[in-house]
Amino acid sequence: MQLSRREFLKLAGVSAAGAALFTACSIPEKELLVQSPARIPEDVLDGDESWYASVCRQCPAGCGIIVRVMEGRAKKIEGNPDYPVNRGKLCARGLAGVQALYHPDRIKGPMRRTGARGSGQWQQITWDQALNDLVGRLKQLRGSAADTVVLAHEPLRGPMSLLVDRFTRTYGSERLAYEPMDQAALRAALKTAFGEDVVPEFDIQNASYVMSFGADFLETWLSPVRYNRHYGEFRQGANRKRGTLVHVEPRFSLEAANADQWVPVRPGTEGVLALSMAYVLMSDGSADARAAASITAGAGARALASFSPERVESVIGVPAARIQELAREFASHQPSIAIGGGSAAAHTNGYTNMLAVYSLNYLVGNVGKRGGVLLNPASPLKDVPATSGATPFSAWQKLVERLRTGQPKPVNLLLVHGANPLYGLPAEVNAGDALGKAQYIVSFSSFMDETTAQADLILPDHTYLESWGGDVPEPGPGHQVVGLQQPVVKALYDTRAFGDVLLTVAEEIGPDMAKALPWRNVREMVRDSVRELHQARRGSVTAAEFEVFWNKALQQGGWWDSNARSSASPTAPIFSKPPALPRYAGSAPEYPYHLVIFPSLSMTDGRGAHLPWLQALPDPISTVVWRTWVEINSKVAKQMGLVEGDIVRVEAPNGKSIEAPVYPHPGVSPEVIGIPAGQGHSSYTNYAAGRGANPLSIIAPLTDAETGGLAWGATRVRVSATGRRMPIPKFEGGAVEARQLPGAPVAPVTRG
Amino acid sequence: MADRKWVMVVDADRCSGCEACVVACQAENNLPINEEPSFLQHRAFEWIHIERYWEGEFPNVKARFLPLMCQQCGNAPCEPVCPVYATYHNNEGLNVQVYNRCVGTRYCANNCPYQVRFFNWFEAVWPETLKNHLNPDVTVRSRGIMEKCTFCVQRIHRKSRLAKKEGRDLRDGEVSPSCVQACPTDALVFGDVTNKDSKVAKLVEDKRNFHLLEHLGTEPNVIYLKKVDPNARDASGH
Ligand code: SF4
Ligand code: SF4
Repeated sequence: MQLSRREFLKLAGVSAAGAALFTACSIPEKELLVQSPARIPEDVLDGDESWYASVCRQCPAGCGIIVRVMEGRAKKIEGNPDYPVNRGKLCARGLAGVQALYHPDRIKGPMRRTGARGSGQWQQITWDQALNDLVGRLKQLRGSAADTVVLAHEPLRGPMSLLVDRFTRTYGSERLAYEPMDQAALRAALKTAFGEDVVPEFDIQNASYVMSFGADFLETWLSPVRYNRHYGEFRQGANRKRGTLVHVEPRFSLEAANADQWVPVRPGTEGVLALSMAYVLMSDGSADARAAASITAGAGARALASFSPERVESVIGVPAARIQELAREFASHQPSIAIGGGSAAAHTNGYTNMLAVYSLNYLVGNVGKRGGVLLNPASPLKDVPATSGATPFSAWQKLVERLRTGQPKPVNLLLVHGANPLYGLPAEVNAGDALGKAQYIVSFSSFMDETTAQADLILPDHTYLESWGGDVPEPGPGHQVVGLQQPVVKALYDTRAFGDVLLTVAEEIGPDMAKALPWRNVREMVRDSVRELHQARRGSVTAAEFEVFWNKALQQGGWWDSNARSSASPTAPIFSKPPALPRYAGSAPEYPYHLVIFPSLSMTDGRGAHLPWLQALPDPISTVVWRTWVEINSKVAKQMGLVEGDIVRVEAPNGKSIEAPVYPHPGVSPEVIGIPAGQGHSSYTNYAAGRGANPLSIIAPLTDAETGGLAWGATRVRVSATGRRMPIPKFEGGAVEARQLPGAPVAPVTRG
Repeated sequence: MADRKWVMVVDADRCSGCEACVVACQAENNLPINEEPSFLQHRAFEWIHIERYWEGEFPNVKARFLPLMCQQCGNAPCEPVCPVYATYHNNEGLNVQVYNRCVGTRYCANNCPYQVRFFNWFEAVWPETLKNHLNPDVTVRSRGIMEKCTFCVQRIHRKSRLAKKEGRDLRDGEVSPSCVQACPTDALVFGDVTNKDSKVAKLVEDKRNFHLLEHLGTEPNVIYLKKVDPNARDASGH
């Protein structure tokens, strides 16, 4: 919009009037007119802005975004106010997305390795050369029985999952999804507990009482923006009583800080606490009878007698009286919800831990009720899954063995997209060594991460702000949602969308592949997959013509139907086996501390470490930035003679160790050492490489007994001083305290 | 046109400490990248930051969060000390910083009891590619300039001009600073307090309200609502 000259002068007049409020003395009006004509000079003209709706890809939650674009440049990401998952809100990681797009260290075009593997010597090639190379190999390998092609990728859902699945199935290759902080146990337990493939919606905003067992739902867990929205309402929503939050976790996390009660249990015993509460509820008769009967296969409270508060108090480190109190509060403050995850699911008993936790919801009769656990409906799109299963760690262990030994089948071609196993897998499995033996590695990464640095050929993908895509968010908001992702700017470099590359390659491999994947590009595939929504004539977008439907849906950021809810009414799961106690790597006398690793609020499991805004974002509790720190209880640190910034060696029973400075922490339990994941990259751009340490690298490769998920919370460690120190970069202590001289009066500022 | 009075309400009981507001502010307002050394020198820029307070010790330990930004004082100690009138009050209750007047005496920062003013000791630098996302509505400050939270004045003006063009008043909730827009818990609420029907006009009446450093008489336009602690010793729950 342009201001007329007349308007301009009028504004100037308003500004001059503002000067009357000036406190010191009045400013000559003329001066303001000359020097500050209209408020602030840069605001006089508005540039044209456009906003495009899309989907955030910074974590698996899949929030809806709108991106402000001016002159072909993406300026700012905000939450899509209409999108049901996050309703206009975003998290720090989502807001930082423009830095991924404009990152100075992006891979700008296809490259082929020239020096030795990992030497960092590359030659730029054309897309024709790159595709010829890949197609040639895939053609040659296809059908030769002893040879294999493996595609490793991030957990996928929505149309991309369909594409990758058809590609690998038709070609005859295997695929594995990688997730460094393995959630296999949690997913499997949710599936058993609620009888559904998709993660349910936890209706925290309408609950009176929330008990969280290790779930970092305000930071990175499942759908954190959604849960933060819920949390605000839960505390101070209109026309409701303030909700009570209890958090059970050995480490003092952001959730512990926000909770009304924090219950520091011994790591891995969260499920035992849940069962003990179940026992209390069943024996005093306050438990839902049907649920109690089904959980114990008809045997009732007796079946859980070995979990009575008196018998478990010393195991879990919570007094019996407190367990009883928690159980009673959980039953009497209705509606209540129990959720669990994070480190509580990352133990050798992770699955049973989670099953016990989620069963509590049945005992208070809150499954399928407002303020309880609401089941999510299945995906509205045929063939397009809403759930993204990751492959458990045990399968990755097998793949590493196969790479190393060539048995039972060699891996001739390893394709990697969106996965960085070399950074995330524990050093003990020696993935680096094994990867060195892979015959040929092709990476589709936009950045030179650790795994990509070992590749032979790089076919860089667009970033998500340059790509087409679709999503069926998991967890959904309790009803059907399909998100649409569209490029908001033209591709900056000579990169190509991973999906488009797969489609091109498929066509060249053979007619059967071309038939199974009949689309020219991802955009067309997404368009095709939402045609059934158009035909359904329901939900937020309806139109007679498909073209109109498609454009409207793109403008809105997707399609949803708040009436399409789940009608399932599951029954409580049976505990076929009594939940086991956790097993730890290392003995208590030699390795006195539990290592509790937690995803960094800003960098999560490490994927955000390349963005300067996220590196520079203070941890909310320690306020540390740019580095790894070691949380040791302040009193313990004092006894050990450690002060802030002393570098310690944290050593696991397998001999692996990392070094990082100490942050004496008043909140963490004396038995626990807390270290954030996310740092310790050897590659992954100049902002990430060579800073901090990666605690995931030292853990023992223990697994959850039921699912084979990585028990990343089960390693014990010892700590020793190195004698060296470093200043810890952090935000706290930045402001100089205005000190009040004793006895001196405060002179209030007064208006002249 | 009646004068407006912009007010931000910060509900400490809603704030989860998620820090979305911090990145939202940096993304909107062209704040320089805080490299590691800037933290070691206590020269990091965060127009809004989360102040964390410890209470007690393990196991009865509490950490409290308070989002802190320029309080846009109605009676601002930073204003009278500026020799060149680079910081002044406008008719919408904002404490405005005029960058091209500032000569960098830093008197204002020295006089600010909330320590929320930031001085550009160095020229801000971005890698060439990252300059693409800089917001054209906001000046990139040069070396020697003082800066601070503006309540995203550029967003206020953009929406005001739009309303004017459409010949109507601003609607409540139409204008939100970047931090408020992002805050997932709705701990931050923004609006014109002279509009009696606005959300903020109601919230400022909440009995949990307080000002930071009330006794200094700075009359902030940021109003806090106390965190509720049901386990606190005094029975009021505060
Ligand atoms: S939670 Fe954050 S990172 Fe994840 S999708 Fe939502 S905005 Fe993006
Ligand atoms: S975004 Fe909101 S909830 Fe998060 S830290 Fe800022 S004020 Fe608190």
